[in-house]
Amino acid sequence: MHGVKRVRESPEAAAAKKLREQSKIKEYLALNDDVLAKKASNDWSREAFNLTTRILQINPEFYTAWNYRRNILLQGIFPGSSPKEINDLLTDDLSMTTASLKMHPKVYWIWNHRRWCLENVPDGPGTGTEGDANGWRKTNWDRELFVVDKMLDADSRNFHAWSYRRYVLARMPVARPETAELTYTTRKIESNFSNFSAWHQRTKILSSLWGSGKLDYSKSKEEGKSLRNAMYTDPNDQSVWIYHRWLMGAGADKDVLDREIAIIQELLDEQPDSKWCMESLVHYKQLLLKNHSSSVDAATITNDCRRLLGDLRVLDPARRRRYEEIEKQLLC
Amino acid sequence: MSTELLVPLHVSYIQNLGKSTDDLTYHLTAHLRLNAIYWGLTALFTMDYPEALDKEDVIRFVESCWDEQAGGFGAHPGHDAHIHPTLSAIQILVMYDALDRLDVPRVVKFILSLQQPSGVFAGDSFGETDTRFSYIAVNALSLLGCLDQLDKDRTVDYIKQCRNFDGGFGSSIGAESHAAQGVFVCVAALTILDRLDEVDRETLAWWLAERQLPNGGLNGRPEKLEDVCYSFWVLSALAILEKVSWIDSEKLTSFILSAQKDTEKGGIADRPGDMVDVFHTQFGVAGLSILGYPGLVDLDPVYCMPAPIIEAKGLRKAWKGLERRVATT
Repeated sequence: MHGVKRVRESPEAAAAKKLREQSKIKEYLALNDDVLAKKASNDWSREAFNLTTRILQINPEFYTAWNYRRNILLQGIFPGSSPKEINDLLTDDLSMTTASLKMHPKVYWIWNHRRWCLENVPDGPGTGTEGDANGWRKTNWDRELFVVDKMLDADSRNFHAWSYRRYVLARMPVARPETAELTYTTRKIESNFSNFSAWHQRTKILSSLWGSGKLDYSKSKEEGKSLRNAMYTDPNDQSVWIYHRWLMGAGADKDVLDREIAIIQELLDEQPDSKWCMESLVHYKQLLLKNHSSSVDAATITNDCRRLLGDLRVLDPARRRRYEEIEKQLLC
Repeated sequence: MSTELLVPLHVSYIQNLGKSTDDLTYHLTAHLRLNAIYWGLTALFTMDYPEALDKEDVIRFVESCWDEQAGGFGAHPGHDAHIHPTLSAIQILVMYDALDRLDVPRVVKFILSLQQPSGVFAGDSFGETDTRFSYIAVNALSLLGCLDQLDKDRTVDYIKQCRNFDGGFGSSIGAESHAAQGVFVCVAALTILDRLDEVDRETLAWWLAERQLPNGGLNGRPEKLEDVCYSFWVLSALAILEKVSWIDSEKLTSFILSAQKDTEKGGIADRPGDMVDVFHTQFGVAGLSILGYPGLVDLDPVYCMPAPIIEAKGLRKAWKGLERRVATT
């Protein structure tokens, strides 16, 4: 149980609640037994299908009922249905689970059932030679992206929704350009700099766009500029600093390292107790020592790191052992 | 607020869980029953009360969850076989030294049948896949002494594609690093498979250490709220990397203890003031064990089971919690 507040209630109120619960339990168990008995007897009827609807609306985590529902469709209902009827049934299930997701946005089984529905949409309404055989699929998958947008509007960190988003984007019948997803992450980040899920998505999209040559890697300089704003807005927010570390990578380009170190130093001068400024400076200065030792003043940089690590130990005592270990490595 | 672990209360909380049949939640969570028994039993073993439940009753319940058609365990009698309750069943039987009650070849066949061409495992025949199920498969096969039947390279191949630049792992390829669904399951699976070389230890330990918040609790992803269960997911990975010292153990201990319910009901919640449940009770106790809390039995962070049992099976891997402290009172 996550985030459910404990409420203090009087013994009388608790007893009254218990009593009310007994009839609910009776009703639920009767339904539960009915579903399991029908399942045990391989009942693939409409009636059984409707029972799964009822129980799953009460308890969407009852995975056996989801399995049973799919088996009823596959064994009992689809065989006697036209492609259009199958598409309608799956569309109905998608609508039903949309309502369910709004109440239970983190139930694996609901997300999982949607995938199954999407993957089972038949060819139609056309045949390929006449009309679009992908039509139903396009309609369903396009709507899916809209649903997942709504889910991420409600909770921008819901990792089920993000995973599902990647799944939808990867499997849509008509692929959306990746640049559209880049724009989406920009929008999510601009509305909340702390949304590391969006920053993470951005690392994946940019890697892909750079890798395929659809976007020029040298543009990463502009990417750096947009980070300044976030860094200055809240220097204590981890998201932007972790993303920055991704952008800098292994630190092969000395000019980029020098430039970023200067910018972070400037911010640190303004915000002298910014842990993430110090922590990042230590990391990037170490990259200078590691990758560019012949063209830097190693003694000065080592001293800088040592001083910063000393400050970090005081400022962030929870992690002081880590800073001590880094310092030890510096000495050798 | 309590400053020590209320062991007798938590023991009776777990003992009473099976008797809450007049509680609607009890019935609405039937799909987690076998998992819940594993959580409760592991907490009891860790608190050194291995005999607090009736062993024969528990084993008979486990047997009653067997799905003859699929050859695995459902979470409850009549429920479908799924890889997660199947692992719980195996873990319970291992803790009770009762693996002779299990049709090992059939269970192994069931687990292996769930591996997908990409190397990841599905939870059941309907095919939800993610690295949780890869870990479960690896853990279960290891406990059964049948790891040699697994296509290890294919299993590792999928897991390593889930690694992110921040050193963490996601629950599927492309997913954000997540301390539980990604990091713990991938790192523990790689540990069992002796493939920790796939982990960027320094970067991951940094990311894990940054999960601690000023109140001492741990979160599972950057800029998220703390939760007692991450006391296990984050700490177990740190223990495997031998970096538990990279966080403030005293503050984390206090945070876990503050989430206890200190009335006669017992149990631990996700955070102070919330409803308790057996999941958070187990992972709170597990975290305290790794932190060297006095009087607890060592918990193996790789298998999330009592360390003496894992050692006796010859399965112990390299990991390091904090030294067990002696009670001061």
